Amino acid sequence: MLTHLQPSSAAPGRVVILGAGGFVARALATRLTASGIPVVAVPSRQIDLAAAEAGPALAALLQAGDAVVMTSALTPDKGRDAATLMKNLRMAESVAAALAARPCAQLVYLSSDAVYDWRHPLVAETTAPSPTDLYSTMHLAREQLLGAATVAAKVPFCILRPCAVYGPGDTHNGYGPNRFARTALAEGKIKLFGGGEEMRDHVFIDDLTAVIELTLRHRSTGTLNVVSGRSTSFAEVAAQIAARCPKPVAIEPQPRGGPVTHRHFDPSALLRAFPQHRPTDLASGLPRLLATP
Amino acid sequence: MIGFVGLSHLGLNYSLATAAKGFDVVAYDPDAALATRCTTGNFPIEEPGFKELFAANRGRLRYTSDAALLAQCDLVFYALDIRTNDRNESDTGPLTKLIHDTVPVLAAGTTVVLLSQVSPGYTRQLVADLTKRPEVKARTFYYQVETLIFGAAVQRAMEPERYIVGSADPTAPVPARFAAWHAAFQCPVLVMRYESAELAKIAINFFLVSSVSTTNTLAEVCEAIGADWNEIAPALRLDKRIGPHAYLKPGLGIAGGNLERDLVTVRSLAARHGTDDRVVAAWQANSVYRRDWALRCVHQKLLGRVRDPLLAVWGIAYKQDTHSVKNSPSVELLRALPGVRILAHDPAAQLPDTGCGHVTVVPGPLDALEGADALLVMTPWKVYAGITAADIKARLKGRLVIDPNAVLDEKGCRAAGLDYHRLGC
Repeated sequence: MLTHLQPSSAAPGRVVILGAGGFVARALATRLTASGIPVVAVPSRQIDLAAAEAGPALAALLQAGDAVVMTSALTPDKGRDAATLMKNLRMAESVAAALAARPCAQLVYLSSDAVYDWRHPLVAETTAPSPTDLYSTMHLAREQLLGAATVAAKVPFCILRPCAVYGPGDTHNGYGPNRFARTALAEGKIKLFGGGEEMRDHVFIDDLTAVIELTLRHRSTGTLNVVSGRSTSFAEVAAQIAARCPKPVAIEPQPRGGPVTHRHFDPSALLRAFPQHRPTDLASGLPRLLATP
Repeated sequence: MIGFVGLSHLGLNYSLATAAKGFDVVAYDPDAALATRCTTGNFPIEEPGFKELFAANRGRLRYTSDAALLAQCDLVFYALDIRTNDRNESDTGPLTKLIHDTVPVLAAGTTVVLLSQVSPGYTRQLVADLTKRPEVKARTFYYQVETLIFGAAVQRAMEPERYIVGSADPTAPVPARFAAWHAAFQCPVLVMRYESAELAKIAINFFLVSSVSTTNTLAEVCEAIGADWNEIAPALRLDKRIGPHAYLKPGLGIAGGNLERDLVTVRSLAARHGTDDRVVAAWQANSVYRRDWALRCVHQKLLGRVRDPLLAVWGIAYKQDTHSVKNSPSVELLRALPGVRILAHDPAAQLPDTGCGHVTVVPGPLDALEGADALLVMTPWKVYAGITAADIKARLKGRLVIDPNAVLDEKGCRAAGLDYHRLGC
């Protein structure tokens, strides 16, 4: 649930985006710039948040009126081991140190729906987080670490937990719409685990950046799941992509590695927080993905 | 003479029912303006049959702000409603103050009965505190469970199913005057220790909540798989373990405040005593989730598709036949749609002071429909059931009708080409 410290929408003075080389960060920078909001994009090559000197370096860059959006994370494709976990935690520690030295106007942390146990069939913000691997443990630990730091520094703190994000410009190749679109266009096939029965909530990238912009404009605090509220099976996603491709696409079943799991989200808190937000449905989002996969 | 203290919903109904059974009644409240208002028949509550019953029995009923009149009573009921806060926590402070302020007036032989909704342990502590005060002459204290239902308060006060009485000594007979009052209502009387009676009230509400929550959980499954809960419910009513009067109608969560208050009370007791409250937490979560059914529905069906929509909302009260908007799903919906143009109607309830500035109240239900893109029937008032699909179709600009409680003629709406949605299907 979010609380808006700024009930009327107002553009932040400046937004510092950490992890600026990533999929979400790039889309966010484009959006904010188009909205006339000054953006300072900080990629890892400029400040490696996992490095020892990162905290002071970031503090030197921050101004009191800045809103900071932390998208930086080593995702599971970069490693699922303890070393990756510790690097990710050091990134949060650096941000915490920077905030202690130079408190800013707001911190928005991009967490993940991974903090919830897969056994919850319907997830809401009131669902208790229950990490099941090091990646989800990392996000929850970062939420706690940054939460404590922002309380100490008196910085408004907003946690966003998006579910599976898809859209043009994705740098990952995770199982789902992005990979399906790429292989459909390049190879004329989509590989599905089992029958693709698993239900998932897929969020279009523009919806996520729109919600981030709203949290910045309202200086929101609290925790919010960024979801569409409508889950679709991977089989249905694959079928919709195949139907939109210019050439025939074969959908190829592959052996399934684990049991079938489903995930649905209650979007009520998002609808209440931002009544003007209109989630993009797959029928609208997939053509835009296929246009620039 | 029988006395009532506290002219809120509970006190007004029970004092009137007592007068209607032939007893002379003094009904006291420290608010002189309220007592005067009631004397003139201008009551702050809306209940079917109340005004008629008052008209027939006003000769035996005296509303007053003069506490000294309570000295004439040999049986006095304390019936102040217990307010709850935004977290559904009870505030018994005003009741406790009212009791301590007025009990010293009562005569030595007076029987005192507490009707207000208190938490387990309250009555015994209250009695212990009162008996320490030398100026308190009354020495006989009971707690009696009330099961007032908003919108059916008069009927239930006049025709109770049973009385549950909490006593310091359940083995001792109740005083003759109290027994005579019970006899007038011709129903079973169960006497038990204070704590049992206090918890019995909560137990009744818990079984209601469990029925409501079970119904809502399965109604949503119906919506997902193409079943219809209305076809299932009759089968359950014929099951002896469930019964013909079970709460089997899907709804927008648990509203009104009283049931939520008891859930909060038991979670507080569980936390203090280390008992398992996980099922209670699940009921609370399910209630909030189902409350927002209409919000999700209108977002999904309309708000993402129509620019600057106009909504018609019928019903503001938390349920029919009441003016109360406490925990009303309708009010929660209105507050969740700031910036959306809304025309709303309710036969009795008014908009709350906060969060509804974007809503315009109109005098009649049909007035709300003119040019609207969708109709949401948020409170199942009977007056709405009488409005035909043709009347709706003629005025509504769009086709969407969201009728969670199935107030309207579903077949008629569908036949008229309206895009009709209700709970459980």
